[in-house]
Amino acid sequence: MSNWQSSEATARLKKRYAAERRFKALGFVAIVLSMLFLAVLLFTMLKNGVTGLDWAFLSGSDSTDPVTAGVWSAVKGSLWTMLVTLSLAFPMGVLAAIYLEEFAPRSRWVDWVEVSINNLAAVPSIIFGLLGLAVFIQFMHLPRSSPLVGGMTLALMTMPVIVISGRNAIKAVPPSIRDAALAVGASKVQTVFHHVLPLALPGILTGTIIGMARALGETAPLLMIGMRAFVSTPPGSVTDPSSVLPMQIFLWSDEVDQGFVQNTSAAIIVLLFVLIAMNGVAIYLRNKFETRW
Amino acid sequence: MPISFVLISVIGLGVIAWAMSRARSAHFAPVAGKLKLALPGHYGLYAAIWTIVPALIAVWIWSLISPGLVQGAIVADPAAAQLPAFEFERNTVLNEAFALANNPNAFVSDPIAQQLAPAIAAAQTKFGWIGAVLAIVVALAGFAFGYTRIKAGFPARSKIERIVLGALLLASFVAIITTVGIIASLIFESARFFSMVNPIDFLFGTNWTPDTMASATSDMGDDLGAVPLFWGTFFIGAIIAMLVAIPFGLMSAIYLTQYASPRARSILKPMLEILAGIPTVVYGYFAALTAAPFIRDLALAVGITNASTESALAAGLVMGVMIIPFVSSMADDSIAAVPQAMRDGSLAMGATTSETIKKVLIPAALPGIVAGIMLAISRAIGETMIVYMAAGASANLSANPFERMTTVTYQIAALLTGEGSFDHPTTLSAFALGLVLFIVTLILNIVALRVVKRFREAYE
Repeated sequence: MSNWQSSEATARLKKRYAAERRFKALGFVAIVLSMLFLAVLLFTMLKNGVTGLDWAFLSGSDSTDPVTAGVWSAVKGSLWTMLVTLSLAFPMGVLAAIYLEEFAPRSRWVDWVEVSINNLAAVPSIIFGLLGLAVFIQFMHLPRSSPLVGGMTLALMTMPVIVISGRNAIKAVPPSIRDAALAVGASKVQTVFHHVLPLALPGILTGTIIGMARALGETAPLLMIGMRAFVSTPPGSVTDPSSVLPMQIFLWSDEVDQGFVQNTSAAIIVLLFVLIAMNGVAIYLRNKFETRW
Repeated sequence: MPISFVLISVIGLGVIAWAMSRARSAHFAPVAGKLKLALPGHYGLYAAIWTIVPALIAVWIWSLISPGLVQGAIVADPAAAQLPAFEFERNTVLNEAFALANNPNAFVSDPIAQQLAPAIAAAQTKFGWIGAVLAIVVALAGFAFGYTRIKAGFPARSKIERIVLGALLLASFVAIITTVGIIASLIFESARFFSMVNPIDFLFGTNWTPDTMASATSDMGDDLGAVPLFWGTFFIGAIIAMLVAIPFGLMSAIYLTQYASPRARSILKPMLEILAGIPTVVYGYFAALTAAPFIRDLALAVGITNASTESALAAGLVMGVMIIPFVSSMADDSIAAVPQAMRDGSLAMGATTSETIKKVLIPAALPGIVAGIMLAISRAIGETMIVYMAAGASANLSANPFERMTTVTYQIAALLTGEGSFDHPTTLSAFALGLVLFIVTLILNIVALRVVKRFREAYE
């Protein structure tokens, strides 16, 4: 009778298989608990907020009375801020990505650029708020609480995200495309702008949308530059004092009046809905235009 | 300055320059023995760049110097003789006068300001028009220069491409400028703070009771000891949050990479990523509204009497959940980087999957996992909104997770959104805290990225 069939060996095998099952269950439980947390969070917000979602809430402005308060002033502030962020971060991010990926020589300067981009992507957002406060408001005297300053601060935060995703998208374009363009007499710049960039654009756009979604949910840096003012009229331009959607959530969460619990949760639903829509567009773009070379 | 008029006319001139140069170049006869060096569009673009860019630079420079010129014109005005000699009052009056000149409905209390306002408006209009004329002259000069240079055989394409390369270089330097800007502004304001408060008191003092109204005296350092903040930050971000994030993140990464079917993985992984996409303010609200009262009730139920509604535990737990997907994806990458042969070898020897994971994969992937945890800690200690809404404001040097606790980020936000003046050491201490936070996260990031890089190279 061979050794591995002895009762001792069978018992040990049984123990090992039990440990195997326990370990697998542990992994499953970790995921399930995380999902459960997400579900509880979403359920809490829906339960508290869904009754407050109506047209008056979506089109109204901030008010001291929870019944008449609405999100439109904050949404409009967010739109202005995102417009400033996008118009600064997208061109600069794409141009920087093109330079680093297609033209940059191996030099110390370029190494510094790469190091600072990787580090900027990991700097805490509140530090960008300190930068915005010290440079844009204290030094350049731009209007406090305005979407202009908020957008510029968030643009500095979003640019590294766009550069990193842009570089990956440009890297994914096969060299044969470049060789073909160069072979028929295109210059390096023509090759990049006429052939490489259009092919990399879906990837760049996906990264941009994800970066913008993160900027849209950001609160801490905007707190620093004073976008916590009570704003009861929607801002008419990028220099007017304004609030943004996450800031409105923060301000309402501080209110003592119980009526604001509903408003806060409803505003969170609006914010999450917009973020999910943005991420959905990003995923759609990736699936639709992703090319396997 | 009538800025929109200037912009429209400069861009209009640019378009005209583009069209004229393009039309002109179409008639160029080919130069014998030479390749064609540019397309008509290149010539058009070349002239347009020469028309628009110098004019815009002129507008920008003018907008920097014209306020000084307006100021000079006002001081020369007879009404300015009545201005108070004391500088502070004088600036107040001038500010009112400027406000009135730009907006006729502005509230003005001083009669001198009312007298000065028309003069200011006149001076602004005058210098505005001088600037406009200047910009258009520069545009026309640029147009003439660009247009006359265009002839057959002129290498417009390579000229333009040099400009494009310059623009690309400039864009990539924005990242360096931002980094330098962060470091410079933090160091500059911190230096002002440390000239008033002893760095030793700040870094090693254990009493944090900031008061922006207190007179700035030499013993400010006694109230601005940041150790309780460092402890609170470390306790919430590096201990409580990691106690949640590391086991959950690691186990979900192991389940997703080793056990889940590809189909389950394609559903579960994006769902886990949703946790990372939820804005921090939403987590903060959830922590304050649901998690914190729940934890207080739990604490009361097990017999801890002094539990408060705001607690380090509530903030830390919710923050830990937020970090789970981050730890998970870092661990995922590290485990995937371990060569398949090592895994196959272990399985071939008869080890079960979990034994392979525990004895082979995790030890092999450990550097990557540790680096991922360092990045996660750096993210957790820089997190503001959750602690702002759920951890409280009182600086407590305590190891009891049910107590209120405050963090570096909370104090930065609270000090700078308060009413304090910007020259007060208490307000400036926010920048010193920011500098400490920046340095710590920077070190964590650099070390982690280096470890990841070396770890990747080891298996290539």
